Amino acid sequence: MYEPQNTLQGPSLYQPYPARIIRTLPQIPDHQLFQVRFEQEDMVKSFTYRPGQFLMLSVLGTGEAPFSISSSPTRPGVIELCVRQIGRVTKALFNLPPNALVGIRGPYGNGFPLEQLRGNNLLLVAGGLGMAPLRSLLWYALDNRAKFKDVILMYGGRNPDEMLFKYELLNLIDRADVKCLLTVDNDPEGIWKARIGVVTKLFDHVEIDPENTFAAVCGPSVMFKFVLEKLLQRNFSKDRILMSLERNMQCGVGKCGHCMIGYKYTCLDGPIFTYWDAINLPEMI
Amino acid sequence: MDKPKVGIYGLTGCAGDQLVILNCEDELLDLVGSLDIKSFSMAASGADDQCQLDIAFVEGTVVQPDEEKLLKDIRQRAKLLVAIGTCAVWGGVTAMKNEVDPKKFIEQVYGPAGKVFEVIPPQPLSSFVKVDLSLPGCPIEKEQLLRGVASLLHGDLPKLPNYAVCTECKMAEYPCILVEKGLPCLGPITVAGCGARCPSYGLTCNGCRGPVDDINVASEINILKEKGFTWVDIQNRLRTFAAPAPPLNLQTLEEAKNA
Amino acid sequence: MKIVKLPKEKLAEFLSCLRAFGEIHAPTKRGEKSHVFAPLKEPAGIELDYTRTILPLKKYFLPPMETMFNFQAEKGYETPAEESDKKYIIFGVHPCDIHSLKILDLVFGGKYVDGHYFSRRSKAAIIGLDCIPDEFCFCRSTGTDFVDDGFDLFLSDIEDSYLVRVGTSLGDDMVKAADTLFQEVTVQDREKYKKKSIQRGQSFQSEIQLQDLPEIMDLEYESQIWQELGEECLGCGTCSMVCPTCYCYAVFDELNLDAASGQRIRRWDSCLFKDYALVAGGHNFRAQRSSRVKNRYFHKQRGFVSQYGRPSCVGCGRCKEYCPAGVDIIEVVNKLRSETRV
Repeated sequence: MYEPQNTLQGPSLYQPYPARIIRTLPQIPDHQLFQVRFEQEDMVKSFTYRPGQFLMLSVLGTGEAPFSISSSPTRPGVIELCVRQIGRVTKALFNLPPNALVGIRGPYGNGFPLEQLRGNNLLLVAGGLGMAPLRSLLWYALDNRAKFKDVILMYGGRNPDEMLFKYELLNLIDRADVKCLLTVDNDPEGIWKARIGVVTKLFDHVEIDPENTFAAVCGPSVMFKFVLEKLLQRNFSKDRILMSLERNMQCGVGKCGHCMIGYKYTCLDGPIFTYWDAINLPEMI
Repeated sequence: MDKPKVGIYGLTGCAGDQLVILNCEDELLDLVGSLDIKSFSMAASGADDQCQLDIAFVEGTVVQPDEEKLLKDIRQRAKLLVAIGTCAVWGGVTAMKNEVDPKKFIEQVYGPAGKVFEVIPPQPLSSFVKVDLSLPGCPIEKEQLLRGVASLLHGDLPKLPNYAVCTECKMAEYPCILVEKGLPCLGPITVAGCGARCPSYGLTCNGCRGPVDDINVASEINILKEKGFTWVDIQNRLRTFAAPAPPLNLQTLEEAKNA
Repeated sequence: MKIVKLPKEKLAEFLSCLRAFGEIHAPTKRGEKSHVFAPLKEPAGIELDYTRTILPLKKYFLPPMETMFNFQAEKGYETPAEESDKKYIIFGVHPCDIHSLKILDLVFGGKYVDGHYFSRRSKAAIIGLDCIPDEFCFCRSTGTDFVDDGFDLFLSDIEDSYLVRVGTSLGDDMVKAADTLFQEVTVQDREKYKKKSIQRGQSFQSEIQLQDLPEIMDLEYESQIWQELGEECLGCGTCSMVCPTCYCYAVFDELNLDAASGQRIRRWDSCLFKDYALVAGGHNFRAQRSSRVKNRYFHKQRGFVSQYGRPSCVGCGRCKEYCPAGVDIIEVVNKLRSETRV
């Protein structure tokens, strides 16, 4: 007879807790920011997370999927998820009525290594929906400004209509405590006030000390490739380049197997990996 | 929420899939209670064949120009079109000999009187119209139908098994017909959903649910050849229920055999 | 470890005594050649000379399909009524299958403890039984042909009797409850056991060398072998279902006809299925069958070693015996090795 080490009392590991979608903020076509709040007040108070972590969200009857958290733990109470309508669960999520009940469990994954980042410069490089997990780190850093040296954000989208958190980020351009560089590939209507060109061009505008900087990169794989080249040219150590990876996840806790890459579970060992991890894991990117 | 308007239609086939709907004895009242059935010729008179539909369920194969016309009319009126049964999804048994001119069969069966039939080579619905959801099976599985309807009512397409009958067969711990008895079981290449019904009786899977996604037909052919089955037998077996399916067309099989 | 002796003619009586400890599940015949673990109705139905059951013991603790929660609109997900508290005894478990449970315990334990698995696990007693390998067994190579723990009792055949190792306090209670049936182990018994053990060791027909396999797998990551295997493999999932340490599962919601209530289900899954690594939006990280087959081998023989310090294969031979295409793990490993030698 097996005597389990840990107690089996209490709710299942996989119990989704009731939460309400209290507000949806349209972002760009097919993208919305969902503001979610637990129903139980003690959950609202106790739920905390690291930037870069994710949670499992259930739409009743449709199923469960992983979502990276876009809000910062420095602003508790409401959890924000920036979602693209792209699969079964997200489609159902977009069709939910106001104040709909959903299920949430988490947070899961390693998140960004905050202890290691402390006292360093932060360089955040995002493309497209890659801004979703990096926004959490961005606001965490800005709300804990003294813990970090320079904070630089580089964010690129295809055109001004496809920039997530557009007004929020445009407002950062004038702030002194962050260098916010925004760029679009094209500006067909001539309305964009920030820069034009691919995200890698933004490297021309900053001085970076690779010895004292961590880079966090998130975006489409093409962007990844070029940004990595830039970072390596600038003598970044492979351990100082952090990336967030996406995989099929059905449990979030290293059991179901789907997010396995080589010998790492994206949900346990990730979703934040260093570039060195990436090189050593087959099929990583 | 208004009940969705639904039409249930049968083209050429045995009507067995419509019969499965009627056979949902315990759930029948809930089922008809949750739908506004506008047309179900097999079960009710007074069909409304003009109205707009939320969901159309269509059984059977298209074998006549009139059926093609009817199908296109249904498609045009329906928000969602669900193919029910292997005939509607893959062509079924009516399409097993499409390489032969159907006029030949008509002459053989009906003699000169057969001239009144206007026929085209039997084809699945997807050859003519967009199909939103396919529920395969000969006949369909009651459970899949009910879960499918529930998902549609909820606003999703149901998640159907995309793996082979072998998976369900092993889950139920039935002895392997292919390995243990050496019989020509099509479990490895047939899509699951039936709970491995035939193997549960010690019979081979005949592939009535059609090919599984990512089918490896070359490997199955190889296995059957090694077990001593003739090429004609293997071909006939593979092409009984879903001959129009691309991985099972004659040329593909010929290539798979020689690979 | 306490060791006692049970004469074979007392086995039926011992089984009757065991019923006081729970429902007995034992190897029984299914079909012409196969065996399964099933509730034992009559002691005569027990098949102790079986080699392997179609499904391993994982079916008891991670069932092929289970309801994790019931859900209802405006209520959310709720734990279904507690499964019955019934205790049971799984009798006649071979060492490889006991090892597989120890591996599953690692997977379902750790930082996140899976209560669904462990609550069932804690209701089952395990009574092991030694065995004679057939042509598919290679547990000697995987170091799983003997067990030192993971059982309540373990029976070793010494011709007219069983030597019974007592592994737990519960096992001791079982022996005590049938005190009169057991005898003390004699010098001759010990000699018989040792002789049997040597015989058993010599009867292995299959062998696999695992020691440096992780390195070899890294070296042969781009090998043509994976391509060839992808062509042979049917992707039918049989090997994953019958594997005692394949634990992957899928989670999904099933709706009732009211479209407002239903069940959250978890069901066995396989990394060989096409959509296993598919993400929303349509990108498939392992779209090719060859990459999926490779992943399966890689996880068992390479990934698991990095994670837990040992491969997850226990050498039970099920994947080889039940693969319709005859894919043979021993052949695959030998091929990988010979590629390396060239």
